[in-house]
Amino acid sequence: MLFKKSVEGLIEAIKHRELSEEEVIEYFVKRSSKLNSKLKAFLSTCKIKKGKGFLSGIPFAIKDNMQLENMKTTCGSRILEDYGSTYTATAVQKILNMGATVLGKTNLDEFAMGSSTEYSAFFPTKNPWDVERVPGGSSGGSAAAVAAGLVPFALGSDTGGSVRQPASFCGIVGYKPTYGLVSRYGLSAFASSLDQIGPLTKTVRDAAIIGKTIMGIDPNDATTVDKKIDLIDKIESNVEGMRLAVPVEFMKDLNQNVKNTFKKFIEDVKRLGVEVEEVPIPSLKYAVAVYYVIAPAEASSNLSRYDGIRYGLRVEEDSVAGIYNQTRDKGFGSEVKRRIMLGTFTLSAAYYDAYFDKAQKVRTKIKSEMDEVLESYDAIVGPTTPVTAFKFGEISNPLDYYLQDIYTIPANLAGLPSVSVPMGLIDNLPIGVQITSKRFEDAKVLRIARSYEKIRGEFPMPIGGELK
Amino acid sequence: MKTVIGLEIHTQLSTETKAFCSCKNDVYAEVNTNICPVCTGQPGALPILNDQVVEYAIRAALSLECEIHEISSFDRKNYFYPDLPKGYQITQYFHPIATNGHVDLNNGKRIRIQRIHIEEDAGKMFHSSETITEARSSLVDLNRCGIPLIEIVTEPDMEKPEEAREFMEKLRDILRTIEVSTGNMEVGALRCDANVSIRDKERSSSRVEVKNINSFKFVQRALEYEIERITEVMKNGENVPQETRGWDSLTKSTVSMRSKEAENDYRYFPEPDLPILVISKERIDRIKKELPELPDEKAEKYEKTLGVTRDNAKILAKDKTLSKYFENAVASGLSAKDTSNWIVNEVLALFNSDSTEFNHERISIDNLKKIMDYTNSSKISRLVAKEVMAEVYKSGKDPDTIVRGKNLLQVSNENELISVVKEVIAENPDTVAKYKSGKTSVLGFFVGGVMKKTKGKADPKIVGKLIKQLLDDEN
Ligand SMILES: [Zn+2]
Repeated sequence: MLFKKSVEGLIEAIKHRELSEEEVIEYFVKRSSKLNSKLKAFLSTCKIKKGKGFLSGIPFAIKDNMQLENMKTTCGSRILEDYGSTYTATAVQKILNMGATVLGKTNLDEFAMGSSTEYSAFFPTKNPWDVERVPGGSSGGSAAAVAAGLVPFALGSDTGGSVRQPASFCGIVGYKPTYGLVSRYGLSAFASSLDQIGPLTKTVRDAAIIGKTIMGIDPNDATTVDKKIDLIDKIESNVEGMRLAVPVEFMKDLNQNVKNTFKKFIEDVKRLGVEVEEVPIPSLKYAVAVYYVIAPAEASSNLSRYDGIRYGLRVEEDSVAGIYNQTRDKGFGSEVKRRIMLGTFTLSAAYYDAYFDKAQKVRTKIKSEMDEVLESYDAIVGPTTPVTAFKFGEISNPLDYYLQDIYTIPANLAGLPSVSVPMGLIDNLPIGVQITSKRFEDAKVLRIARSYEKIRGEFPMPIGGELK
Repeated sequence: MKTVIGLEIHTQLSTETKAFCSCKNDVYAEVNTNICPVCTGQPGALPILNDQVVEYAIRAALSLECEIHEISSFDRKNYFYPDLPKGYQITQYFHPIATNGHVDLNNGKRIRIQRIHIEEDAGKMFHSSETITEARSSLVDLNRCGIPLIEIVTEPDMEKPEEAREFMEKLRDILRTIEVSTGNMEVGALRCDANVSIRDKERSSSRVEVKNINSFKFVQRALEYEIERITEVMKNGENVPQETRGWDSLTKSTVSMRSKEAENDYRYFPEPDLPILVISKERIDRIKKELPELPDEKAEKYEKTLGVTRDNAKILAKDKTLSKYFENAVASGLSAKDTSNWIVNEVLALFNSDSTEFNHERISIDNLKKIMDYTNSSKISRLVAKEVMAEVYKSGKDPDTIVRGKNLLQVSNENELISVVKEVIAENPDTVAKYKSGKTSVLGFFVGGVMKKTKGKADPKIVGKLIKQLLDDEN
């Protein structure tokens, strides 16, 4: 039952010579190749090991929007279907340096734009709890791979909830560090001011261990900060006396099942001596709107480089404009096109003030309101997602689809650390609770999550790790 | 009719590496060798601001009397073109590094500078035909892509094409003096787009932008052409549309490139990959202190304290190597006024006749000093001095060797000269008669004759004296 082990558990087993590094890797290679045909979590597989360190013998997977030299990095898009990376992302390199082995690159919504992997240009990934349902997204491949025990941990990227939302849907831990703690160098940009790489793991301790490994200022990413945070150090300390805020806005319109599960969470943490109060954060109601102005605007610019000139798909035409038009028409899927159009519109000279500029102002407002609440409370908590995993094709209206990220988006807009931890099952589908705190209070976020995890008890894996 | 001209100038900064990656800043390297994930726009690559770019931009801004902003930031200018790998150019649109500067022209007119901002250059394209639309194929070299630029935007303070040219030349001299750019227009290290509009009593033309001006001469020519064209259109009562025109240096004319309607919407927005640029007051003060003397300050010093004529002072102060040459010569004990004349009239004339740039090694200060000494002590004539200098310039030989080898020392010994003088007098009886009838101005004719016979070696002063003596004696 190696697949049930956490990263820490595997490290211990190797250390005590219960298992060799090779045995662990081979076990997961075999398990991955067996289960992936059902889950379709991977876009490509490999076995790449570079360094030696405390993660030697630990396999992992990375979302296919992170560069890994000499491997394809498709971003889930036709336009990069055959694109070979020329370098390795900093966060990935840091894990490789510690001796871990990459077993594959995981599926995602095209360019991380989506919440279900249904927008992957290649195929959707299935939720290991119910293969009729989505794993969430956009890091759905990474979440499914960890939840089903294909790898003990994976890296995802979180722009509006893309690590936390699939973690919630798949019953695992998903952690988005404070913006600037983890280098984005080598992460194919979706929305640069929101993107952040984070780990998907089975336990909060694992999230802290991997988080600590990938953090740090990077000379290749000017938005990283020089801040040393020990995520492990105080993770077991108690949280008695802490105060948690539940935004009133999160509780409105919440369905009864989720409400009940969350109530159970509140009761649990109260037993830890934590106070929980409902607090209004009025500007949160604009978060989704603001996000869908800013993220597409940045994306429309970030995706301009995929023009068929230097690399990637190229549809030959008689004129340069023809090459651009045809390449981008054939290369991008509908959701990506929708967002490029949105972003191009909101940045255009005639609408910049009305949309982009105004959205920036509201973003600042959201940030300051959240900061203000976090002056009196240790963290903001709520369900990670408004619902559990939905069925493929169930949500077809883009506006309804965008509401999947309603609770996760604020942390990205404000650059705050946020973690999703499984809090229960509804009709045998997992759902997570989200804990968010001040910038650079990542250790606190994980400490609260860890305290809750202990009182919650072990969270089950989907049907003993096998598939329904 | 009143003409209004404003300039937008792009200058490549001669930093070691590119603006946002660590690739070498070297456009002459083999194509596509100075490239990396960042400057070729690979997925996931991020820009890192090269601090030397900031240093050079501050230097330029201070030299142009600008206000430097403690806080500025970067933005993206979005457009599609094959030489632009990211699909956007990083620039400073909303908050430039510096504003409000000026340059004073020689006639005292002040040309205000609206703003200076940092940006990156695009790659270079090679088309199989004249233009990208006609070309069957095009190649892209990304060595130039990401090379740092500063854009300097003037207020529309110029009225004449000559003023625009003078502004550009002054700007080049400043950029070279502070060593931030080669200022070479021919290779595109300095580029100039000119905006021009014309107003008469009743109406005014739209603003026309002229691009692709690739030399100082053409700054003037292109504007002259464009002003004439616009004036003509206005005279005919037609409308002058707002448009962008390109200068064609072969036909010496401008051609329409695109109308206002076809202008790109660049969708500027703040660059999320770069933090705001903070420049401390201390840093600005430090750079200010380190700035070398600028051409105009230097010229004033030459004029006021060294007694050099204004025109000579301006010429000597323009170019750093030249002013250093002049200053070293003066330091070696030569008279400033005399030396300035020698350099401007003789030394520079040699380089100009070759259309090459001044290079102090061709005529070392030692050699200049020797030639000046020979002349001032009347050992050689001014005419011979020119010849000697030309020889030094050509062969690099020592003036002593040339003078000795060609036996050029001036003959001032009266005994040696007297026979030649007598010869000339004997050969020109008619002129002698003129002299005797009171036309003393023919004296120069005799001197010239003697100089000719002695191949310029005779001391003209002594020759003059001897001729006068002999002719007067005959009376
Ligand atoms: Zn480069």
